[in-house]
Amino acid sequence: MTRSKQENKKVPTYCFQCVSGPDLIKVEVEDGVAVRIEPNMNICGQHPGKGTPCVKAYGLVQKTYNPNRVAQPMKRTNPKKGRHEDPGFVPISWDEALDTVADKLREIRAKGAKDNSGYPRLAASFGGGGTPTRFMGSFPALLAAWGPADLGFGAGQGVKCYHSEHLYGELWQRAFTLAVDSPYCDYVINCGNNVDASGGATGVRRGAEARRRGMKRVMVEPHLSVTGAMSAEWVPIKPKTDAAFLFAVIHRIIKERDWRQVCDVRFLEQDTTAPYLVAPNGYYLRQAGTEKPLIWDLADGRAKPFDAAIARPALDGSYSASGLELGADEEAWRHEGVEVRPAFQMLLDHIDAYTPEWAQGECDVPAETMRRIGDEFVAHARVGETIEIEGETLPLRPVAVMLGKSVNNGPGGYHAVWARTLLSVLVGAIEVPGANLGTKVRLNRPANNKHLSAVSSRDGIMDFPFNETSKEGWASQPRIRNGYNTLVPLSSSSPWAPALGPAHLPWLFQKEAPDNWPRPTLPDLWFCYRTNPAISSWNAPEVAERIAEFPFTVSFAYTRDETNHMADIVLPEATDLESLQLSRIGGTGSGEQFWKHQGWMIRQPAVEPVVDAMDMTDIATEICKRAGFLAEYNMAINRGAAGMKLKAKNFDYSLEPDVAHEVEEIWDRVAKAASHDLSNGEEVHGIDWFKENGYMLREFAQREWYLYPYLKERGIRFELPYQERIKRHGVQLANRLHEAGVAWWDGQLKDYDPLPRYESFPDIWTRFVREKGQDPDDFPFWALTARSMQYAWGANVGIPLIYEVAENISGHAGIIINKGAAQRLGIGQGDPVVIQSATGVTRGNAVLRQGIRPDTVLMIGQFDHWATPFAKDLNLPSLNTVTDISLSLTDGTGSSSDIVRVKISRDTELRGAGS
Amino acid sequence: MSEAARQAAPPRFGMVIDLNSCVGCQTCTIACKHENDTPPGVQWRRVIDVELGQFPDVERLFLVTGCQHCAEPPCVPVCPTGATRQRADGLVTMDYDRCIGCGYCAVACPYQARTIAHEQNWYYGTPTAQEEQVAQKNRIGVANKCTFCVDRVDHGLAQGLTPGLDPEATPACANSCIATAIHFGDFADPGSNVSQLAGDGRAFQMHEELGTQPQIKYLYGLPESTPGRDRTADDVDDEALQDPDNPLAGQIQTFWDMRAAMNFTLGGMSTGLVVMAWLAHVAGFLPQEGLLAINLAAGAGMAVGLFFVFLEIARKFRFLYVLLRPQTSWMTRETYAVAIFYPTLLADVLWPSELLHLILAAAAAGFLYCQARILPAAKGIPAWRGPLMPWMLLATGLFEGAGLLAIAAGLFSGLAGAAPLAAGTGGVLAVINALLWHTYCTAAPTGGIGPLARNTLAAITLPLRLLGHGLPLLGFALFLALWPEQPVAAAAAGLLAGLGAVAGGVLWKFTVITKACHQQGFALPKVPRRGSGTRAAPARMGTVA
Repeated sequence: MTRSKQENKKVPTYCFQCVSGPDLIKVEVEDGVAVRIEPNMNICGQHPGKGTPCVKAYGLVQKTYNPNRVAQPMKRTNPKKGRHEDPGFVPISWDEALDTVADKLREIRAKGAKDNSGYPRLAASFGGGGTPTRFMGSFPALLAAWGPADLGFGAGQGVKCYHSEHLYGELWQRAFTLAVDSPYCDYVINCGNNVDASGGATGVRRGAEARRRGMKRVMVEPHLSVTGAMSAEWVPIKPKTDAAFLFAVIHRIIKERDWRQVCDVRFLEQDTTAPYLVAPNGYYLRQAGTEKPLIWDLADGRAKPFDAAIARPALDGSYSASGLELGADEEAWRHEGVEVRPAFQMLLDHIDAYTPEWAQGECDVPAETMRRIGDEFVAHARVGETIEIEGETLPLRPVAVMLGKSVNNGPGGYHAVWARTLLSVLVGAIEVPGANLGTKVRLNRPANNKHLSAVSSRDGIMDFPFNETSKEGWASQPRIRNGYNTLVPLSSSSPWAPALGPAHLPWLFQKEAPDNWPRPTLPDLWFCYRTNPAISSWNAPEVAERIAEFPFTVSFAYTRDETNHMADIVLPEATDLESLQLSRIGGTGSGEQFWKHQGWMIRQPAVEPVVDAMDMTDIATEICKRAGFLAEYNMAINRGAAGMKLKAKNFDYSLEPDVAHEVEEIWDRVAKAASHDLSNGEEVHGIDWFKENGYMLREFAQREWYLYPYLKERGIRFELPYQERIKRHGVQLANRLHEAGVAWWDGQLKDYDPLPRYESFPDIWTRFVREKGQDPDDFPFWALTARSMQYAWGANVGIPLIYEVAENISGHAGIIINKGAAQRLGIGQGDPVVIQSATGVTRGNAVLRQGIRPDTVLMIGQFDHWATPFAKDLNLPSLNTVTDISLSLTDGTGSSSDIVRVKISRDTELRGAGS
Repeated sequence: MSEAARQAAPPRFGMVIDLNSCVGCQTCTIACKHENDTPPGVQWRRVIDVELGQFPDVERLFLVTGCQHCAEPPCVPVCPTGATRQRADGLVTMDYDRCIGCGYCAVACPYQARTIAHEQNWYYGTPTAQEEQVAQKNRIGVANKCTFCVDRVDHGLAQGLTPGLDPEATPACANSCIATAIHFGDFADPGSNVSQLAGDGRAFQMHEELGTQPQIKYLYGLPESTPGRDRTADDVDDEALQDPDNPLAGQIQTFWDMRAAMNFTLGGMSTGLVVMAWLAHVAGFLPQEGLLAINLAAGAGMAVGLFFVFLEIARKFRFLYVLLRPQTSWMTRETYAVAIFYPTLLADVLWPSELLHLILAAAAAGFLYCQARILPAAKGIPAWRGPLMPWMLLATGLFEGAGLLAIAAGLFSGLAGAAPLAAGTGGVLAVINALLWHTYCTAAPTGGIGPLARNTLAAITLPLRLLGHGLPLLGFALFLALWPEQPVAAAAAGLLAGLGAVAGGVLWKFTVITKACHQQGFALPKVPRRGSGTRAAPARMGTVA
């Protein structure tokens, strides 16, 4: 090195590989080569992670210079597809590649955008959490310009998400995901949410600051995760029984303690539906005429509409009242002097059986532990206290409950999410300082302001864009192959909705068409970007077979991988450090992205593409031009498909529709519109300014973190504890499906319970073994997975530097087994083992640890690679190879869970490399 | 200290690492790799995943490790070249152009902070454009370790910045830490960030008992919510430390292998022989010709040992740098003993004299003594550094010397006169060696020698007692009983005894140097209190109104 490092150019850009981003970074460039990554300390004062990125950002240099990158566009020459078929990829020019894709699109358009089953002929899948949109440039405008597309083939996006939290979180508190308000929180019950591995730099920093301040976290999980390690207590619960644990904690608080003493009674009375009266058929008792739900006023012994002046709302007891009860499908009952109970009384009755002793039998946690945790929770809740935030007095409720991924997806997810939210509601610890906060909305609109989406329904609760289940409104024809609009009312209809339906089911339906359902068809063209469903889905080997059936797949590809192994056209896009995009930053977002600023940041080429790659924006523009819908594409960008509308009342930076604009021009317009919008026209900057400065911010009020003040202003109540809407939609959906002859969704309909009833959820997976014709006793272990911060998202398992440092954290080298359990099986540290479920086999090396239940094994990540260079030689096990996709394992929201019964034995077979 | 004096005093840079904050994310590790361009597998800042206790009473924590920039760094005095130094501000630095790659600093470090990459490796097998751009070729074959990003610190200081507060003047690991677990600063300033953090009595220094005064202080407790606790026997038991995958258990060092052991055995026995032969000569049992012959043979043996050491050092063409640290390094001093020994030997052969015999014997004794000091100065290897080790090496060297003398006396009639002295001293030395070994093994658990190394020592104890102690004792006793009446039988007994003495020495030295050579490992005298069951931090009901 002839020059000191300090003289090198530092290029500001961002890392958004995981959903808990963005992290702003600088790329040090020496002689045109990206040599190092460092934090962007310029934004230290504004970024809640103080300008630091997590470990993954530092892999970007090796990612850029990975010699295994796809070096130029390629086409398939072997028409046969499959894991064991050589694709016979041959290099082609970009012209040929783009023309081939454009020709296919023209061909599809000529046939009609939808096929005979009514499904879009075009499909596209993206990686998880919406992060691909931070890298795909203007590609969303291509989709918007095109029209119907099936975005519901579960890939990274759609399967294995916080599914129940997404749907019910948005329903109850505009929370696509939840976070802890760490700066103020004192006590967290965390059921398996591995936030110190998944929360990104911001989540980790805020969590560490909270611990130093004295926040205590109780970690309830079968395996002592990274987050469990950092918690004050580990409660090793039996897998998938978290709802039982939470029910018992609720029981402790409202049945064993005096709920009038420990709960936030004022909050329950005024800010929730706890006092709403429930009529004999399970629906609210309403005022005849106005149809407003009624509340019993103890002051004068009368039922009054919820928005009337009510001196002493009744929360418990039973009353005789009159009114209207509106059931499903316009069924209505007029009641005179009928016995009604407040929803809270319904809850008291409901929770009565769920004692800590009962729960101990379910979840293997001592009853006294649950009692103590319940007591600690209410003791820390500080009911009645307030805090001043930016001059405004708000309730302070420094307690929170977090749920992990496998806790809140799949069967039992609704129960756990309901119990969690209810715990918050009992003490008023929801959307206030110190409590659980929603991060953002994905189903409600507007997408960039969760508060504005909170409008009152006629019942005084937040309205929600359910997919209709009424006779007239129900969509008997699924819009896409996963049928989200037909099967899952909660999945709504936003652009995100396709991913939030039963996104794993198209793979199943493709193999076994369900009865009375449109014939499953294959998409004529499938775009695949920053996702690898052939490895990341449940039953990944089967999904790979389904992918092999697709007639025409276009994969954007950084290296070869298991999914693009089946591709017809492989397009190497300019990667993270090589391409240009402007993206929103700040406000509130996933993980613990709670900012006091918001604005825009740039991702820009630090170096020229190392291979013959094209910027995604240029790819999108070229495809649209060649396929003949350039004008529609430009107009979609003008409408905001690239993240910012280019024309508004005060400005117009619109793209000329018929011109194929270069990437720089497109983002220059976006930059100007974005900066204009952000600064009210006071400071308009083109893309060159962003390239120099990296980001542009304006203040964002901390008050915006909290939804409660907005609801209070608008007189909106939280819809808890009783789920009248869920019940009604459940009955109506059952009616619709049965009218259509669909009986295969009946198991899922059980979830439409106004007060969720516990069932022994682990048994679902035990029964599944039997369903597969095997003896559950032969599979004595629960197999689970856990998040790896080092590997999660971003194809990092193929990067040797990431591999090297990940190895420092236990479990990355194989399958974690309790040391005692392993010794009983004669398995020693590092021994090769074979992990078998009723449906699959995976192999790896034993990692013996004390911090895991003896009945549980754990495989970090999802690494059963067989095509991805470097990763395929790591010989790591994967849960995805031993899980299955089945309706029996799918819940009402259309999700399943990362859990399976397995047996473990020493592996006596010699393993072939990469097999 | 007055304010003026305090300002004039040099800073003492160090770190505070908060065990309640570190989540083991590896960001510091990878940021360090970027900043310092370290090659594959080399991690100057390493964070290990530690588990304490047994299910369900388990705690897990992440321990940030690396060079502790000790105030009393054991790596500095041992370095024979002066490549490793300590600056006035406490930073322990490396001069890659001076280092010969002998690995002495690496075995001297009780914190496993040093590595030697012997060849340039690339992450993808072949170099990427970036790797070619940043490859640090001068760091191949020399010792590497964390420098506290000395370039950043110096560059920052030159610009008037404050290390630890200004990112440009702060080590990359501290800058990059997403949990604010790593703090860098000046311990000499009582008002600095690190002094304040470590000042309230909830910090420990690792392996403090070794006297290294490490300048990384670990915070283990949060005063209000999560008080720490003392380590208990349940935390890390022998069984846990017998798991080679347990990051707390020291790994077998690989810096000094059989090549170093060859020097300790051949050099030890050869110099022991020279000393014993000289004793026999001055006592009148060995004529000058015999002495010279023995000295020549011993010189050859010693040369073979030294050749193996030459093979051990990575930067062979720099080997003369080994002479640059006579002030402190026993390795340098050993080299000087060699430098005296061989010219003296040559002179003694050419112009024999009693004075030259004496000088030669003194050089040999000096060499043996240096060897006896080299190994114990390697503070990073518990099996090497015990107080008995110098005595064991000295006693074994002389014992082997006596044994070799007995062998020589048995084989060559011209040397036979030396046999009784060899047998007499040999018998005594057999007893001394047996006692030393017994005491060494008995004291091993309390001396910090871990169970893995102890197992290895235990495995050779019986063979050593039989072959290395019993056989020589018996043989020499028989010799003395039979001599001079039955010279042939006596010579045979002496020969066997001598072989036993040499074999015993070879056995234990090879074992200790190449097998029972586990590094110190990591230890936490205080533990953050969290976990499950009885280990969980106390409930905090009382702190809430």
